[in-house]
Amino acid sequence: MDRTRRRVTRRELLQDAALAAGGFALVGFAPEVWAQTPKLGAHLIGRLEGPELVRDPAKWPKKFSEAPMLAELVKQGKLPPVEQRVPQEPLILKPVREIGRYGGTLRRGFTGPGDSENGNRWVSADKLLFWDYTGNKVMPSVAQAWLLSEDGKSVTIYLRKGMKWSDGQPFTADDFVFWYQDIYLNKDLVPTPNADFMINGKSGSLRKGNDTTVVFEFPEPNYLFLDILAGSTSMGGGQALWQMEGRTMGAYTPAHYVRQFHPKYIGKDEADRKAKAAGFDGWVAYIKNRWDWRLNPDLPVLTPWKTVTPINNPSWVMERNPYFYEMDTAGNQLPYIDRIVMTLAENLEVLNLRAIAGQYDLQERHTGMAKIPVFLENRDRVGYDLHLDPALNGSDATLHTNQAHDGDPEIAKWLQTADFRRALSMGIDRDQLNETFWLGIGVPGSIAPAETVPYSPGPEWRKKWATLDVGQANSLLDKIGLSKKDAEGYRLRTDGKGRLRLELMTAAGTFIPQTQIGEMIKEQWKKIGILADVKEHERSLFITRVRSNEHQIDMWANDGSEVLFLFPRHALPVDPVEANLGYPIAVWYASAGTQGKAPKDPQLLKALELFRTANGKKAQERHKVAQEIWKILVDQVYSIGTVGQSPATMGVRVVSRKMGNIPERQINAQHCRTPGSSQPSTFYFKG
Amino acid sequence: MDRPPHSPGGQAIVEPAASSHPAIPEEAEERISVATQWQLMWWRFRRHKLAMVGSVVVLLFYGLVLFADFFAYAPPTASEAQRSLLPPQPLHWLDGGFRPHVYGFSGRRDPVTLKRVYTPDPAKKIPVRFFARGFEYRLLGLIPADRHLVGVEGAATEETLFLLGTDEQGRDLWSRLMYGTRTSLTIGLLGVTISLVLGVLLGGISGFCGGGFDTVIQRVIEILRSIPTIPLWLGLAAALPSSWTVGQVYFAITLIISLIGWTELARVVRGRFLSLREEEFVMAAELAGSSQARIILTHLVPSFSSHIIAATTLALPAMIISETSLSFLGLGLRPPAVSWGVLLQQAQNVQALAISPWLLIPAIPVIVVILAFNFMGDGLRDAADPYGH
Amino acid sequence: MLAYLARRLALAVLTIWAITILSFVIIKLPPGDYITSYIAQMSASGGFVSEAEVQALRREYGLDQPGYVQYLRWMTMVLHGRFGVALEWKRPVSEVIGDRLWLTMVVSVAAIVVTWALAIPIGIYSAVRQYSTGDYVATFVGFIGLAVPSFMLALILLYLGFKYFNASIGGLFSDRYAEAPWTLAKVWDLARHLPLPALILGFAGTAQLVRIMRANLLDELGKPYVVTARARGLSEWRVILKYPVRVALNPFASTIGYLLPYIVSGSIIVSLVLGLPTVGPLLLRALIAQDMFLAGTIVLLLGVLTVVGTFLSDLLLLWIDPRIRLEGKQ
Repeated sequence: MDRTRRRVTRRELLQDAALAAGGFALVGFAPEVWAQTPKLGAHLIGRLEGPELVRDPAKWPKKFSEAPMLAELVKQGKLPPVEQRVPQEPLILKPVREIGRYGGTLRRGFTGPGDSENGNRWVSADKLLFWDYTGNKVMPSVAQAWLLSEDGKSVTIYLRKGMKWSDGQPFTADDFVFWYQDIYLNKDLVPTPNADFMINGKSGSLRKGNDTTVVFEFPEPNYLFLDILAGSTSMGGGQALWQMEGRTMGAYTPAHYVRQFHPKYIGKDEADRKAKAAGFDGWVAYIKNRWDWRLNPDLPVLTPWKTVTPINNPSWVMERNPYFYEMDTAGNQLPYIDRIVMTLAENLEVLNLRAIAGQYDLQERHTGMAKIPVFLENRDRVGYDLHLDPALNGSDATLHTNQAHDGDPEIAKWLQTADFRRALSMGIDRDQLNETFWLGIGVPGSIAPAETVPYSPGPEWRKKWATLDVGQANSLLDKIGLSKKDAEGYRLRTDGKGRLRLELMTAAGTFIPQTQIGEMIKEQWKKIGILADVKEHERSLFITRVRSNEHQIDMWANDGSEVLFLFPRHALPVDPVEANLGYPIAVWYASAGTQGKAPKDPQLLKALELFRTANGKKAQERHKVAQEIWKILVDQVYSIGTVGQSPATMGVRVVSRKMGNIPERQINAQHCRTPGSSQPSTFYFKG
Repeated sequence: MDRPPHSPGGQAIVEPAASSHPAIPEEAEERISVATQWQLMWWRFRRHKLAMVGSVVVLLFYGLVLFADFFAYAPPTASEAQRSLLPPQPLHWLDGGFRPHVYGFSGRRDPVTLKRVYTPDPAKKIPVRFFARGFEYRLLGLIPADRHLVGVEGAATEETLFLLGTDEQGRDLWSRLMYGTRTSLTIGLLGVTISLVLGVLLGGISGFCGGGFDTVIQRVIEILRSIPTIPLWLGLAAALPSSWTVGQVYFAITLIISLIGWTELARVVRGRFLSLREEEFVMAAELAGSSQARIILTHLVPSFSSHIIAATTLALPAMIISETSLSFLGLGLRPPAVSWGVLLQQAQNVQALAISPWLLIPAIPVIVVILAFNFMGDGLRDAADPYGH
Repeated sequence: MLAYLARRLALAVLTIWAITILSFVIIKLPPGDYITSYIAQMSASGGFVSEAEVQALRREYGLDQPGYVQYLRWMTMVLHGRFGVALEWKRPVSEVIGDRLWLTMVVSVAAIVVTWALAIPIGIYSAVRQYSTGDYVATFVGFIGLAVPSFMLALILLYLGFKYFNASIGGLFSDRYAEAPWTLAKVWDLARHLPLPALILGFAGTAQLVRIMRANLLDELGKPYVVTARARGLSEWRVILKYPVRVALNPFASTIGYLLPYIVSGSIIVSLVLGLPTVGPLLLRALIAQDMFLAGTIVLLLGVLTVVGTFLSDLLLLWIDPRIRLEGKQ
């Protein structure tokens, strides 16, 4: 279905906006629900669209062609012809608009070696499975097909026959076996098993079916594993993501290349010698450097582009992979774009100014919402379009209460009192926040994910405890025993130590101006008699304090939590790395009760218990469990949501008008590795 | 820290000496020879026009510091999204006679450009009064008061009057500027005082006692100066316990800044002590049997106090610049505190430049005050030299 | 004399050693370490880190050791001439700094040239025509650079450059030349990007030098030999121009102690705002990320340069001004 560009009428715009907000063609809805006034910024939010996978072999192209720069190399005899480079059954994509043209260098901005996701997400086509452009359906990627067994104890992955690495060597099940036996099971490389490859504390295993079949097996039913493979997790996230920065996951690795650094194949002494010769302490550090796609241009990869100039230079340059396994419906081997060049921007204002000036061709990272009017002002003069991609999580600036706070018993008591939290939540004027910091584009409400997500508990949970009601907030606080106030109207502590002072911790330098939002909330809470102390910290210090269980309330996002089971840490205290709701509780959960401290709150315990058992449940059941968990979380208000479902993070997309096949709206979610699900290999330059 | 360094603090290597001068009439000469040191200083200072202007400006600003609450007319934290990023409101003076007023306005967000757009409503004239009633405060921290420099009649001032516009949260910029001035200038003063005490004390010991003390103190100074300031600030600022209140953090920042500043003063003091030690009047005092302490206090201190005053005055703008820069880096004062550095930091972005440039106005008092202090300090130093005319 | 030099040398070494300890301490001072910084960065940019990784990385980087152990390890490495690997950049520290070093020097020297080019004429004029209107105007201009917050000026100029001149934004090279090999065109590109930072930085430093020039010149002009020269019939301007050379030597000699580290580190704030690939922003990033080796090496380098510079400056002064020689004897 080719959609030609024509002027869209206002009516269509309204409809599209409503449809886009509703989740295109997936959820049945009643038209009355969407008959509202047009949302602010709706003209910049297009219709959700993207390339489609063509699964009918009858529609597959018979003749293949390739990029001119590769055709040149074939002529010189340096590359085999394209028919021999792609698998027997390549992945066929129907681009969102039209068949593209080869050529061009894409310019982007990045902020340094820590900004790996900038490139990783563009090449996430190296994942085994993936989510389609709606973010709701699992689709094959590197894998040709998969099979989740009836009992949930195994997932079989079928690879593509004849698929090759970027250096021409065959990609087979042996690469998985190598990863599993020689990396995952090697105690020097992976000291403890990974949570994503376990079920109820028991490890999974991997075995080879045949050259093109790999089986992941578990001792107990693990229906979630399919989602794990498809999502941005340590098992399914792809080689580029999960073998960078010293990581060891991702399920496969180029055995023929990595072998030469592995002591099992060349002996420990030789491995160490090679490492020292290259300037590393030992073979472990060296091998981790060698399989890092961002640092090693020689590493064979499956990604659409491979690194030619590593990320720790002033520019990170990538060039096309001649053996990439995707094609368009006309038989052109993807990607269309030849090169990607990312230039280092030492600070965010410079980066944004360069984006405004049109020095980047496609930039959705590090662009700020507050700058939207400036982007709009300059777009015609410079020649780019601005697209807004709202995310699916309920709240961009979430106040997480520390359920394990023990520094101040009085504060701890109140933080663990549900009505106290509810009162705080109802004392926040979200419309004010939305207008000031989200330009009115966000959706005010609770932490519940967007209604289009299958885990959503339902639209009525958007507003639950999450509307401005100063009267009810005040009466709740009076009822629980905080009725005494001082001369200026601030409530007093019940232990006689003066004013009740809540410490609200924010992090500096975040996309969303947390501290300023905190300032506004502090003003608003005056009306309910609560004194908030907003303390801004350097991000690193923020994390440190959370890990030392020092904070009372901190502000962070809850992104990623819309797919609760794949990325729970912003909603539940289950991961010690980021445990805004209580580090001791996360340690308790992660150690299966052997360390840390169990939560005292019965509802929180119930939510954690529900979460723990979800892995073993089938998809339909799992969705119901997620809804139950969200209902508890929203009703108990452990985390107070403010404004969400906005383009604040990676949703302000600046696109040069020279580019084609750019979706009007792309799914902005962590599990889709935005812009991964939009298949950047189909983007092209119109010339 | 950010400019090519040339003996920071602006100490001159050699003292400014006599400039070519026409002959002085005899009577005036008579006056000069019997005038006290301070009178001489004052006369020389008066000649330096820029310095005089600078001093007046400085005094005016410190007046502002004392009465910041009076000059402000809105609480600095009063936010309101519906007046976010309001441009400065023009003050109209005539309405059939001298009746200053502002127009009411209505605001909305333009759905196409997504900017906040405000339309003034000339029909709605809001009279502006001087010495009007407004929010309550304590004058000089003691006397409860509610009068402000300006205010409006028949409405809450903080909801109607915005002489310099508002910031992103809809807070009045003028009032925040008043409070910011108070914070920044006070930090400067506090910091300089601490530097002064440390500098004179340690520089004096170093210069007067010499020997071991001198070597140790000189080495400490050298070490402190060798560490680039930013790492030092970053380390110290991050190490402050987060349970401290804004006030305590504020004081700690001041302390940290002045820990660097004292080295300059110490070197000046030491230099002066070293040269003065050899002066004849000191030897005379020693011969006459005065104790060391007496010599220092009654003879040496007065003769270089003028230099100290000058150096101190020049250290103040350096303090202000440090606070501004630190806050810009996010290491100094942070919101919700209000200072020049915080205000400038919130204006240091593309959208402020492109769409709400009035947010840059706080840079003006910064520039003015720094210039004023520098001129004043230069004038003081020129005047302080006993060998100048 | 020799004894004096030897003593100064010994003290210099002692000072440097104290600097190493201080550098280490202040970098380690903020709570947390490189790992927490890494977690924060990943989380804020849409990525994430697992707890197992955190522990593994901590062990790998030796961050689970007590402070003094880490210090001793670092010192041992430094004394062997190895400066470690920059954690964020995954490259040897010497490479990371080396890449940026000479560009930093180019910018710093350019800034210094601008400062001197502005300050010397203003200083001279100000001294010669003291208290005149021209003096006030010139002084005012010279001091504006001191008063205007340079980071603000930098951003404003960047924006105006884009808005009205379509200039390439920040940095020292246009996109095209950033990765290109060195050609004449690339040198020209650098030269076109240099004026903005050089002017902003140079302007900022003008005031202090004006003060010194003026003060020293005033001092010299009052001296007998000047009167003699005038009496001898030399033109006013020749008289004045003969002496600035000597006058300029004096502050140069004593300030070389600060110039040396400045040339290497450059400015931090303005470089940050302008997005210059110099050592200043590198240091700031390293400090915030608590990248021990990188930050420590740069701080150490600057400290050593200051000590060396002060030493050199003392030597120079010794040579120029005999009085100090005598004083040193006491």
